[in-house]
Amino acid sequence: MQVKGSKEIRAGVLDSGLCTGCGACVSLCPYYATHKGKTVMHFSCTRDEGRCHAHCPRAEVNLDRISTQIFGEEYSAEPFGSYISIYAARAGDKAGLGSFQTAGTVSALMKFSMEKGYIDSAVLTKNDKGFGVPVIIDDPSGIEKASGSRYSVSPTVKGVNEAIISGRRKIGAVSTPCQTLAVAQLRGNPLKQENFTDPIAFSIGLFCTWALTASDFTALLKSMGDISTIRRLDIPPPPASVMEIETGNKSYIIPLDDIRKLIPEACSYCHDMTAEFADISVGVYEGKTKQNIAIIRTEKGRKIFEEAVTAGYLVTEKIPEEAIAPLAAASMNKKKRGLAKLAEADLINSEAGHTVIRLEKSTLDSIFKGGASCC
Amino acid sequence: MLLSNNEGKEFLLMGNQAIARGALEAGVSVAAGYPGTPSSEIIENLASVAPDADLYVEWSVNEKVSLEVAAAGSFAGLRSLCVMKQNGVNVASDFLLHLVLSGTRGGMVLIPCDDPGAISSVNEGESRYFARLMEIPLLEPGDFQEAKDMTKWAFELSEELGNVVMLRSVTRLSHASGNVKLGALNRTKPTAEFNFSGNLLDAKTGPVITAPVPFRHTQQQAKLKKAAALFETSPFNRYEGPEKPELLIITSSACYLYSREALRVLDAEKRAGILKLGTTWPLPPELLKKHLAAAEKVLIVEEVLPFLEENIKIFAMDSIDSIGKIKFFGKNDGTLPSVNEMNPDHVIKAISSILSIPYTGMPEEYEKSGQILSFTKSPNRELTFCPGCPHRASYWSINRALTLNGENGFVCGDIGCYTMAILPAGFGTIKTAHSMGSGTGVASGFGKLKSFGMKQPVVSVCGDSTFFHAGMPALVNAVHNNSDMLLVILDNSGTAMTGFQPHPGIPSGAAGNELPGLDIENICRSIGAKTFTADPFNIAATEKKVLDIIENETGARVLIMKQPCALSPEKKGKKKYNVSVDSSICKGTDCGCNRLCTRVFRCPGLVWDNAAGKAVIDEIICAGCGVCADICPSGAIKRSEVVL
Repeated sequence: MQVKGSKEIRAGVLDSGLCTGCGACVSLCPYYATHKGKTVMHFSCTRDEGRCHAHCPRAEVNLDRISTQIFGEEYSAEPFGSYISIYAARAGDKAGLGSFQTAGTVSALMKFSMEKGYIDSAVLTKNDKGFGVPVIIDDPSGIEKASGSRYSVSPTVKGVNEAIISGRRKIGAVSTPCQTLAVAQLRGNPLKQENFTDPIAFSIGLFCTWALTASDFTALLKSMGDISTIRRLDIPPPPASVMEIETGNKSYIIPLDDIRKLIPEACSYCHDMTAEFADISVGVYEGKTKQNIAIIRTEKGRKIFEEAVTAGYLVTEKIPEEAIAPLAAASMNKKKRGLAKLAEADLINSEAGHTVIRLEKSTLDSIFKGGASCC
Repeated sequence: MLLSNNEGKEFLLMGNQAIARGALEAGVSVAAGYPGTPSSEIIENLASVAPDADLYVEWSVNEKVSLEVAAAGSFAGLRSLCVMKQNGVNVASDFLLHLVLSGTRGGMVLIPCDDPGAISSVNEGESRYFARLMEIPLLEPGDFQEAKDMTKWAFELSEELGNVVMLRSVTRLSHASGNVKLGALNRTKPTAEFNFSGNLLDAKTGPVITAPVPFRHTQQQAKLKKAAALFETSPFNRYEGPEKPELLIITSSACYLYSREALRVLDAEKRAGILKLGTTWPLPPELLKKHLAAAEKVLIVEEVLPFLEENIKIFAMDSIDSIGKIKFFGKNDGTLPSVNEMNPDHVIKAISSILSIPYTGMPEEYEKSGQILSFTKSPNRELTFCPGCPHRASYWSINRALTLNGENGFVCGDIGCYTMAILPAGFGTIKTAHSMGSGTGVASGFGKLKSFGMKQPVVSVCGDSTFFHAGMPALVNAVHNNSDMLLVILDNSGTAMTGFQPHPGIPSGAAGNELPGLDIENICRSIGAKTFTADPFNIAATEKKVLDIIENETGARVLIMKQPCALSPEKKGKKKYNVSVDSSICKGTDCGCNRLCTRVFRCPGLVWDNAAGKAVIDEIICAGCGVCADICPSGAIKRSEVVL
């Protein structure tokens, strides 16, 4: 895996419309910053190699290498990537959480793992004047405050970086697929630093179809009224094609077509709907507002998940085949679309200049043939 | 020395000093100008003696007004002087156009000092064409003695003709020095009185007006003809060389010295002759005819544009019957370069090629390798801001705020120390730079392009002196036309780039006299701009403020960044902080910031110790502003307040 520097990040990622605003490059050095969801670079660094390039999910990502690092096997052509099991889940009574947007699985898992000492701190994403910003939580009572879905680009990995810099070493991170990919690269010590220990104790990934350009979305919300009182933002499952917004005293409906106009170009290159490199990936269970789908991927994920169930923090159910199929189809479509767009732009296994992805050609071919089984 | 009689004694004088002395010997009473390199010392020298010399000296708000102020002195019967750099004449030219029609009374001399090669300018304009365009006489001193003598004579000439006389200098005369024998200093005390009750058409006693224009214009041209006749016998036009030279060199100004040197180097003084012209407009016809008739080859050496060359060629065509055909060499045929400063090497090369004299100055290989070595081996010595300069801090914040905003915003600048932000010194922040105050005018225009789909935030920068000079009308324009732009006034309490002269915002004048200082903040509010202030040395707060104003405010806005220049009297030599680098914290070359301190911020007081591989403060150069302590990402730079 070739590690390069900020010059390549500027030319290949920032100036090429590929940056997802994940924040992986921010807070490592004085040169990167994030403002209203956009990652920017102050001045030029000129170093040949840097963690910015090594961790960036849009630069030299070797899917086989990361997959081997986390799962002990090369990248899977399956719709969900590598995993152990899939359940329907929701927060249980013992989690002691109030009511929230969907089923509360993520908050329950975070609370459980912190109360049981699997993690000492959590990096979550909270709402700050309409923008998603990372927040470091060291106490279980703080977890609920950062719950709820964010639809706009948030530089969450900046929070992971700051947690690590502050000396925290048992970090639980909740992140979208691109953010999760950055965290996965970070965990692999790509620059081979001495005395490195993996600071991430638990990684939860979130399903994501796309995100929204933060400043455009905030502007849209502001045009609807006082956004400081937004209590709920939700995109109900099809056949509805709207976004529902609930503020302190009003409800708004925005057609999804208007929302889709705010999707950044960078999202169209994404091939990962289910955050394939997390310990557990959690997302919407279509048709069941009070349940999540949870994909258990690693042994550590399974251990924590099963203990949480036993302790009453989570309630789970088996999912019938017919329920998994739509998720698998959607996931596979995104994977194909993203990889096709990358391939068209010569950003897969490219030898000339910048490349985003490296993986075995045979795996790539079988993805495009699209005959992968679903579970 | 300037006010001492010392008639006949020789002194080593800078060209500008010689000019000042010449004006004093002529009995000048009023001197006005605007600071501009290489002219500023003329006013400064006069200002230094003004209290003892019955002399009024003023740094005017801009060159146009300075010419008007000087003209008033002339209208009131006093001898008056107006001084500026080359592009100052452009600023003053509208008034000049009318002044030369109305005529003058007390002798009035306009002295532009040009900067060929733009050593200290962002243009290498030519002021000489204004003399021809405005139809007034033009004088060019060829050495330091002439700088004094011709200035004195210029006042007499102006009175004899009743019009402005232009005396043009260049950097290598104004800022170089030579022996000058002083003349008599007759300081009289004339009474100022403006007579206007005479006949409308009487230039000496009637109102000073330009109407009726054709009538005045005819008078103006008659004055010029009179000057041409006077120039035939002027001692400032001299010929040296053989009676029938193989090559006639016609030259003026500092190029006279280069031509003499070239002939000596080539040992060609017997083959070529030099006609040095001190009166270069109008051309003295008989004198020219005499010398042109005696030559078949003529080389014209001047800078910057082929002013003399073209005028002489026209004259030669008109006089072709009496002088015969001539082969001209100069700029138009490429014998001499058309841009940049003239120097003896160029002249040597020209003459050696015309006269077929073999000459090798520097071998080409040597010159090439010298250039390569100077790029690769010598330390980088770019132009930069002084240690403790508030502009470095201001641009740090402006640049970072625009980057954070992420909408490809940009800064329009103009003239001053702050122009250096086109360079790495100011992080390349300025994206357009033209004449005084033009940044704000251009920004006023950019700020109206939203209806054409332009989304980029528009910012302009302007110094405090520049604001009074030309920025104010542009700001008025922006406010009145609802332009969406932010003017950042970099107020460092003086006209810094040219030598820290005062301006209308400063409570003192050219002679150090107390005067009311105008308040920029109040003026901006009165104009109607949303006005904010910030201390550029507080970089975190200033960056936040700039970002906030760009993102959350609209219309024409002003942010005044107020912090005195490091070389201002209140700051020079006094440190607010003792600054040092804690080498136990500084990670040196191992710091992932890759020397943000000394590679990007680059204050001269913050130095990279190559041996130690760490940053260190040079206590002698450091001005003690303390800003760098906020730059280091590791917090290795420490500042502690100096307790007096």
